[in-house]
Amino acid sequence: MKSRDNVSGICILGILIVLVLLPLAAVLFQVVCPGMEPEKFDLKNLSLLLDVFVRKLWKKAFLNSLFLSLGTTAAGLVLAAFLAHIRVKYRFPGAKMLDMVSWILMIVPSFILAQGWVYFASGNGIASAWLGLKGISHFVFSYWGLVTVMVLCKFPMAYITIKTSMEWYPARLMHAARMNGASALKAWWSVQLPLCIPAYCSAAMLIFMDTVGDYGMSSTITAVYSFPTLPYTIYSAICTSPARFDMAGVLSLYLMVLIVIAMVIQYLAMGKRKYDFLDNGTEQVVPQKAAPWKCALLSGFTGVFCLIALGIPVGSNLIMSFSDSISIERFAFTLDNYKAVFGVASNLMDGVKHSLSLAGIAAAIGIVIGFGVAFVLTYSEFRLKKVIDMITLVAMAVPGVVLGIGYIFVWNQKWLMSVGLHLYGKPSILVLASVAAAIPLINRVLVGGMAKIPKTLLTAAQMQGAGYLTRMRTILLPLIHDSSVSAVLAAFGGSVFNLAITTILYPPNFSTLPVYISDAYNDLKFGYAAAATIVGGIFIITIMLVLEYLLNLKKQNRVNRIK
Amino acid sequence: MKTNIVKKMTAIAAALTMVVSLGACGSEPASTTGGSAGTESTASSGTASREEAEQSEKTKEVLAEAPVQTEPLVVYLNDFDAVIVDLFKEATGYDVEVVAGNGAETMSRIAAEKGNPQWDVVWIDSAYDIYALSDEGELLTGWEPENAANLTDFAKHIVPDNKCMYPTGTHAAGVLVYRNDIYSEEEAPKTFAELTDKKYAGQVGMADPGVAAPAYPLAAYFMDELGMDGGKEYFNTLFEQGLKVYPKNPQVVKALAAGEITVAMLQESNAYDMVAAGEPISIVWPENGAPGSTRVAAISAGSDQQEIAKIFVNFLLDADTQQALINTGDEGYFEPSVKGVALKPERDADAKLAVADIITGSENEAEIKAWFADMSAQ
Repeated sequence: MKSRDNVSGICILGILIVLVLLPLAAVLFQVVCPGMEPEKFDLKNLSLLLDVFVRKLWKKAFLNSLFLSLGTTAAGLVLAAFLAHIRVKYRFPGAKMLDMVSWILMIVPSFILAQGWVYFASGNGIASAWLGLKGISHFVFSYWGLVTVMVLCKFPMAYITIKTSMEWYPARLMHAARMNGASALKAWWSVQLPLCIPAYCSAAMLIFMDTVGDYGMSSTITAVYSFPTLPYTIYSAICTSPARFDMAGVLSLYLMVLIVIAMVIQYLAMGKRKYDFLDNGTEQVVPQKAAPWKCALLSGFTGVFCLIALGIPVGSNLIMSFSDSISIERFAFTLDNYKAVFGVASNLMDGVKHSLSLAGIAAAIGIVIGFGVAFVLTYSEFRLKKVIDMITLVAMAVPGVVLGIGYIFVWNQKWLMSVGLHLYGKPSILVLASVAAAIPLINRVLVGGMAKIPKTLLTAAQMQGAGYLTRMRTILLPLIHDSSVSAVLAAFGGSVFNLAITTILYPPNFSTLPVYISDAYNDLKFGYAAAATIVGGIFIITIMLVLEYLLNLKKQNRVNRIK
Repeated sequence: MKTNIVKKMTAIAAALTMVVSLGACGSEPASTTGGSAGTESTASSGTASREEAEQSEKTKEVLAEAPVQTEPLVVYLNDFDAVIVDLFKEATGYDVEVVAGNGAETMSRIAAEKGNPQWDVVWIDSAYDIYALSDEGELLTGWEPENAANLTDFAKHIVPDNKCMYPTGTHAAGVLVYRNDIYSEEEAPKTFAELTDKKYAGQVGMADPGVAAPAYPLAAYFMDELGMDGGKEYFNTLFEQGLKVYPKNPQVVKALAAGEITVAMLQESNAYDMVAAGEPISIVWPENGAPGSTRVAAISAGSDQQEIAKIFVNFLLDADTQQALINTGDEGYFEPSVKGVALKPERDADAKLAVADIITGSENEAEIKAWFADMSAQ
């Protein structure tokens, strides 16, 4: 058993090393060997590591990233836990809207959300010019304003993680606690809440990683308002001339240090206790219908919340998509942007096609590898599984542009041509990079699902003679069906809009949707960029809904048969 | 095999077409082409038949020498990606594949590909960065395109001694732009020096020289014109008075439109776009000249298609090509590098450009950018 664990663990570790660690190591190696030229190898260059405390920009970026991520994690966790709690516990009109909004926010890239917030809150944006809310600009572009915007963009992954963990109720344990005299609150505090610690830790890590490594928000809002962060500074080190890959390596290293610290805190919080509780004493939580006043309150709150979290950024983009002006103040209605998007001369549809095919392949490969990663992390006794965990988190936090540059270093070597593995300059490198970027998210979602399923269930089946594939097909996959669907959809949606990687790696004549949107924005075609975003977004969400329906079809048929 | 022969014949025919078309319109200014044709029409029939025979000889030579394309020419660029492929194909029959990105990302790609370059030609408005590539042996040097003879005096000064790159046009990396609903013409700044006036404190913005490709030539110009110390002092004063540095020019545009800043040093195409969009913006071309950003074309030393790359660079230096680029629209706000090209009508006819010395700008690039980044972080 242990040797089998080791084999699967080594395989997964090998895949992650190729997909994540190798490209990252290539960038980090630049610190001591600039340009990967052996004659330039010099260990003295390690002194660059201390420059973070000397260079004003680096120091500020490091501290800004740290405080922004901490603030967002704390506030985001509270918000996500509250939303998950009301969603799981109560049945009220609009409850499903929370899920829908979370999914949309999860797949829409942060640079588009950030752009929407800028259209809304800038000096003469929608809030000021149309709604007369003059103070909004001042608030949004302050530290707490940035935290608020970040929380509204980053809470969904934490919300879904916590909600998934709360959907199962340890009924037998709770009954035991109550029979031993514990009050409802005491039972919740001492039994149910501790069992959710992995989910809360995971949720906190997700928000922290996503915030600390977010480039879209950084470049669109924070850098513009004199609040440089690590991802933006890393980007500007790479995308400057002469390119400072060594600086990017050092800053990425600090980003990794932050991740390791966060992981250590997580492990300390969880200790060596076991948290799997799904057995025959567990019940699926069914939301209860709340009292009318409570129902109205919850519906009202959900509606307002969704309007702010999604309505503002997407609505602002929607408004801009009908404008032919640069600023909202001079808004003039036009359909020209949409005509241009659908026009015969438009290349946008090529971009959509490329992005969709990339995302489809990346999601398919990503779910297979992600399943393997989650399985090893949850059930294997592989010694290096914490390393695997760390690599997936690093892949999530390190900006895509760093990974992209690393991919060039790794996959553009001359000797690879002779063995047919020179992937740089071909669409396949985008697939590899998209898989690498998708794995952390897939893994997190699947680990959340697997954490509830005790290993003993699989062991019992094995003792009854069930082979590996039978155990997967009849036990694990049905129990993590919802998580798997979520993971596939998240990977698909995220890959479609992956700007950083596609910008740095896209092969000649293979432009993608986010590249078109970004180019249009850089050419001051704000209305066209917004229209392309809306059209692309609707396209992708429609495909995701169809995908979700198809993936859930089998499950629904099974439920119908049981009924 | 049959396909290869067809391809080869097509390439030869295309090359012939290209050489003939370049011969007709490239080596002479567009305005003189008509005169030349008129002279031909009055030539005697004997002369004509001799010319025909010469032409036939030339054709045979071209057929023998025309490079055969085995794969598309890969061009890294940051503008004109929508038109240049068809223009070149139409003129020469050769295929081009482009990788379009902003200047900084393109240079970053080139740096990462250093051991195994995947590009044949780079054509971007980052003259200092491209020149630096020649120091590292990454560019074809010592070659002069036929159409370089038609370069303007301004453009000739930009061609370095090692002839590693050729300018195809220069645009203002920073014209003075102000909100005309805030300042009257008299109150508005007319020179860059006036931006240090306290009445503009907290009102001035520009793009980050470390991130936006056109913003570096802007900073380099001051460092070259005023000396490094003088340039730093100039920007120091601006920083002390609250200079706002935005990542790229589109963000400067948004800040101007939003009223967060009221004066800016802005790339000229963005400035004209703002005016065209009806924003309350006026453009000032300083008398001493606006710092220019030069778009240059250079050929990779490692390219295995150098002959076709040369044809491409020569094509970019053709007056008709540059006229076509100017006529394309938003990206056409630039001063052509060759004679005989008409400017965009809305562009100020007296617009004067000034560029920092290529070697100075290239050698001090890392220092200037690092200094600027730290200053703007304060």
